[in-house]
Amino acid sequence: MSLSVKIRKKMDSFVLDVSWQMNNELAVLFGHSGAGKSLTLQMIAGLVEPDEGKIRLGDVVFFESKAGTRLKPQDRHLGYVFQDLALFPHMTVYQNILYGGYGISKTEKESMAVEMMRRFRIAELRDRLPGRISGGQKQRVALARALMRKPRVLLLDEPFSALDASIRLGMGRLLKEVQHEFNIPVVLVTHDLHEARALADRMFVYSAGKIIQSGRPDDIIHLPESQELMDLVESSAYRTQEPAAIWADPLRWELNRTP
Amino acid sequence: MLAFIFCLLLAAVAVEDAFAGTEIMISAALSLKAPFEDIGRIYEKKYPGSKAVFNFGPSGTLQKQIEGGAPVDVFASASPKELDDLASSKLIVSATRVDFAGNSIVLIAASKAAVRPAAFSDLAKKNINRIAIGNPASVPAGKYAEEALKNMGLWENLKVKLVYGEHVRQVMDYVARGEVDAGMVFLTDAIPRSGEVEVIAEAPASVYKPIVYTMAAITGTKNESAARNFIAVVISKEGKEALRKHGFVVNLHR
Amino acid sequence: MDFASWFSLRLSLQVASMATAFVLLFGVGLAYLFAMKDFRGKEVVDMLFTLPLVLPPTVTGYYLIVLFGRKGLIGRPLFEATGWSFMFTWQAAVLASFVVALPLMIKTVRAAIESVDKNLIRASYTLGHSRFTTAIQVIFPLAGKGIVAGTVLSFARAMGEFGATLMLAGNIPGKTDTMPLAIYSIAGSGEWSKANAMVILLTVISGLLLYIANRFGRRLI
Repeated sequence: MSLSVKIRKKMDSFVLDVSWQMNNELAVLFGHSGAGKSLTLQMIAGLVEPDEGKIRLGDVVFFESKAGTRLKPQDRHLGYVFQDLALFPHMTVYQNILYGGYGISKTEKESMAVEMMRRFRIAELRDRLPGRISGGQKQRVALARALMRKPRVLLLDEPFSALDASIRLGMGRLLKEVQHEFNIPVVLVTHDLHEARALADRMFVYSAGKIIQSGRPDDIIHLPESQELMDLVESSAYRTQEPAAIWADPLRWELNRTP
Repeated sequence: MLAFIFCLLLAAVAVEDAFAGTEIMISAALSLKAPFEDIGRIYEKKYPGSKAVFNFGPSGTLQKQIEGGAPVDVFASASPKELDDLASSKLIVSATRVDFAGNSIVLIAASKAAVRPAAFSDLAKKNINRIAIGNPASVPAGKYAEEALKNMGLWENLKVKLVYGEHVRQVMDYVARGEVDAGMVFLTDAIPRSGEVEVIAEAPASVYKPIVYTMAAITGTKNESAARNFIAVVISKEGKEALRKHGFVVNLHR
Repeated sequence: MDFASWFSLRLSLQVASMATAFVLLFGVGLAYLFAMKDFRGKEVVDMLFTLPLVLPPTVTGYYLIVLFGRKGLIGRPLFEATGWSFMFTWQAAVLASFVVALPLMIKTVRAAIESVDKNLIRASYTLGHSRFTTAIQVIFPLAGKGIVAGTVLSFARAMGEFGATLMLAGNIPGKTDTMPLAIYSIAGSGEWSKANAMVILLTVISGLLLYIANRFGRRLI
């Protein structure tokens, strides 16, 4: 299924004006903070409305300014993992995950939740409150919750930024597995170039509300088309710094294996 | 949620009790509570099957309620002003209007006090140091006290000895506890506490504007004849006796 | 203490409970509206609802007569249609307490709702849940402390309500004289020891109820 995004919105400090497309793969929106990456995610989800444009997933139109179509977030059947994870603090892990099963019958929902917890290895945290679990565990709960409904597209806003380096590897691997298994478009926002390179099938580089380059991560990194991008790559210290075993090449190939 | 339903039920069952006979509503100034409750009983005995229901409050509030259409049959106020206002809005039956009582300003002292004045003139003596009256700016009894003292020619000398109470209760407390040597209040204020304070003297009626309690039936009442009956009881011999017992002045000529 | 005083105490408890129940119903809903929605004239409406907090209760009572008295904007059509009027009834006491306590609930709950992390609300929407379900399962539980506080405040305010009640419900012994009104009457006729006894009783009962409400409320959250 293809996800096509064409949006324009005037913000305080810049004008967001982007147009891109992707299929069932993992795409990364990369760039400095404040460039419009998270905003794009929010618009795909229907939490923020563009001034004009069209957002389409497969043959379902989420938003089209000309036709006046605007689907509510509830009706877009997507999965969203927020930057702060947004786990409900008054519900246990199990209840949080159950809450993601909107529209599913009670018994089926319960068995699905149990299966999710087993698969994401959080079964023993079942009755704990979010306040009492680690960052990596919270991540997995948020992901499990978002996947309960078998969403048609998965959006993640800087999901790994608060995690320890050692945890990120496992999460990255998990995310790639999920993408392959569900076979849906996955859009990931990050400002970490190593992460982008390791996970992305395709990358869109944002700067001040515009896309300055897009393509495969390796192409972009080795052949930046603008001074700005070159500076970006440099400032990520990609070349000068050992990327640390976490995103080391052999592992990257493993993560990026094509089905 | 349960509590809500419970209370709804309780409330619905609780308060109203159906009454078959004639029931009249009398709005009366709060100071008339004691005598009117007595008069209510006299009225009910005289007219079996009838009931007198009272609504006590400040005269101004009672007036506003009547203007707002409250179901009142008789209105008794602590001054003619409220009835004048209602009369100009044609809300009272003028033919039934009657001044039925007055009040008097009295000098009081603690019953057990060693040092007491024997008359108003004694207040100037050296052994009387403090005199309590209501604050003339806000308490009606205080305003009358000031007027009386001025007209008796005692105001200038006594000004420095005066202690203001913010309401009548405070004045009574000061006197009862001996914090002051004497006080001035309405006779009707002093009567309920006649164990603790003693009435020394009554200021002559000529030194203050008369305090007039007025009443009338309200127009549009379904029970006008019952209202008239009640008013008649108030100005009857028994009614006057009930009023006098509680300290009101009842020898009015009208 | 005599029968009349027990009646007043019972009446006060009934009136306050009923008023608080209505305040909960409308107050939480209105607080949600103010916290979550923007509409034209919002600040004006908010000000109108806050007015009873600022005005002397007697003035509030006067406006209630203008609205609900027999000749009032709402009272007249009501009387003409049903022959029934608010004035001098115990229902008026409930209405008066409701009006003065409502702003307390609205303000408290609104602040509590506004302090709920907005991402939690957005997350609920993306997971497919309607605004209503989100309100019930996410927003209100997280605003719970505010709702409990608002309820306690409203009940306390209703128990002590005097000015507006006196205006609209009247001070009718055996019918509408809630504790504060009864104390006023008794004090007015100089029976201070009796008034003191009632004051102490009212204080003790109210204090006990507030204590219980606080403990219960804390356990809920």
